[in-house]
Amino acid sequence: MLEIKDLHVAVGGKEILKGLTLNIGAGEVHAVMGPNGSGKSTLSYTLAGREGYEVTSGRILYRGEDLTAMPPEERAAKGIFLAMQYPVEIPGVTTMNFLKTALNAQRRARGESEFDAMTILKRVRAEAGMLKVSEEMLKRPLNVGFSGGEKKRLEILQMALFGPSLAILDETDSGLDIDALKLVAEGVNAQRSPARAMLVITHYQRLLDFIVPDRVHVLSAGRIIKEGGKELAHELEARGYEQIVKDAA
Amino acid sequence: MNAALPSLDLRRAEARERFRAKGVPHRRIEEWKYSDLRASLDDEHVAQEGAAQWRVEALPDGVELFDLSAGNAPDWVTRNLGAIDGSGAMAAASFVFAKGGVALRATRAVEGAARLHLSAAGHTRVLIVLEENASLTLMETQSNDAVELRNVGTEIVLASGSKLSHARLAANAPKSIQVETIAVKAAAGASYRAHFANFGAKLSRVDMNIVLEGENAEAHLSGATVLANGHADVTTHIAHAAGNTRSTQLFKNVAGGHSRAIYQGKITVREGANGSDSRQSAKGLLLGERAEIDLKPELEIFADDVKCAHGAAIGDLDVDSLFYLRARGIPDSEARALLIRAFLEDAVAEIENEEIRASVWREVEGALARANEAAP
Repeated sequence: MLEIKDLHVAVGGKEILKGLTLNIGAGEVHAVMGPNGSGKSTLSYTLAGREGYEVTSGRILYRGEDLTAMPPEERAAKGIFLAMQYPVEIPGVTTMNFLKTALNAQRRARGESEFDAMTILKRVRAEAGMLKVSEEMLKRPLNVGFSGGEKKRLEILQMALFGPSLAILDETDSGLDIDALKLVAEGVNAQRSPARAMLVITHYQRLLDFIVPDRVHVLSAGRIIKEGGKELAHELEARGYEQIVKDAA
Repeated sequence: MNAALPSLDLRRAEARERFRAKGVPHRRIEEWKYSDLRASLDDEHVAQEGAAQWRVEALPDGVELFDLSAGNAPDWVTRNLGAIDGSGAMAAASFVFAKGGVALRATRAVEGAARLHLSAAGHTRVLIVLEENASLTLMETQSNDAVELRNVGTEIVLASGSKLSHARLAANAPKSIQVETIAVKAAAGASYRAHFANFGAKLSRVDMNIVLEGENAEAHLSGATVLANGHADVTTHIAHAAGNTRSTQLFKNVAGGHSRAIYQGKITVREGANGSDSRQSAKGLLLGERAEIDLKPELEIFADDVKCAHGAAIGDLDVDSLFYLRARGIPDSEARALLIRAFLEDAVAEIENEEIRASVWREVEGALARANEAAP
């Protein structure tokens, strides 16, 4: 599904990712763990196509297609979804209207017919219950006045609504208490499927107790320095990043 | 009738003298520093302009209409016309040089909206009178066919307890100079709500003077300016002249291409106007490097126990928001338009009449399309 080959990325002229290689197959859930400044957010933004994240060498292949020059909206239409660490607040646009605009834009880009408001409402409601996203939240301006947990739940609701083939979760656990974390993780787990690949980016092992990954990669200074199964997350938690980085050096 | 009020002829003679003495405003006059009218017009030119056209497109039951070019003006016209214009030279010019104009009066609560359309170049006058406890919704549209100057002098007289909801929509007019002076006098408990939708002209200036004369009078002003080119200047002055008067202002300005949007808002709380409450917010969104926005709030307070809050801010489109929307599949141009609409939303939402709100949004769409084309 996703093949990242020797990826080098610079932000503002400074190289952040320095030869990152990672492969994720359909149906797999991979975790990338790393300390602050290791390049986790750069990886997620680069995969989503954010401006200013310049791929200086290497390749990102998604279903065999090179993504590096593709604008973010095209990536979204092709099934890449990034659940963001800091979902933005947009006063003046209701959450429901945003969901409708985004879903129909993706459908239009794929040459599919647009959904009417009622169809979208039904689809949103079908996902909203489990994630405890209320009707009242849907009527409010996008993310405005939402708690940290509400924002993250809305991210996962979007993931369910759009049905991506590749979902990237960037620090989805940040700012969540344990109950909110469980709710979000349940939402994510419900969407695990043989057709979908997931990349969970996190600083802490805590999230991975609930979203159990098939593979764990440790990112340090822009490179993957260690890989393993789900037990690697626990080793990191027990020994700390510093020790693992030293071992790998 | 007020015995001290000079006759209509005398008021007109005074206005003639005022225009002669002051002449066309220019940038060395503080309130006109962003809109140098004299760079495009001289006094002679203004004096020679003809009559702009007006047309009443909808006149609900309960609204009286008087054509100001006709003789035998009724008392409610002679009592008010040219009486509250203030000191502006352009208002004086419209009073002196207009060959006519239109006067509307509501004497009770009126259902439905009155619609007034102004077109062509020249001077015209508008007089709106609401008698005690009357209410009226007025939709005013202005065409873009004034090749040179259109100078509109509007007076609005609100008796106690009356309510006027006024929306004024001026089409994009790249060849026109449009000057509008609006004088409002609100008696006790009267309410003036107005929205100004501006889409730019070669030079466009709305000059508003509101006096809240009676206790508990209110003014609620909002505006949406969206420019792909040209110029739009909204200058307001609200005077709180009595106690417990309230005013709110919310003006949103979007400037793209090679354009300039201006908002100047002065609030005066006069001596004795205790317990007054005034809020003013002006925001600007710049879409390009050649666009300019100037926001200038100003407060003068001569009373005690008043609440005044004002703020002004200018920014660019938020890059995080833009990325968020694009990452969810919304194409760049659509995402930008969505953010601009979101920026304008609360100002346009101030328009109470749904149909009028919808027509403002339609014009906004047109302006956004033009701004998109004009983008560098």
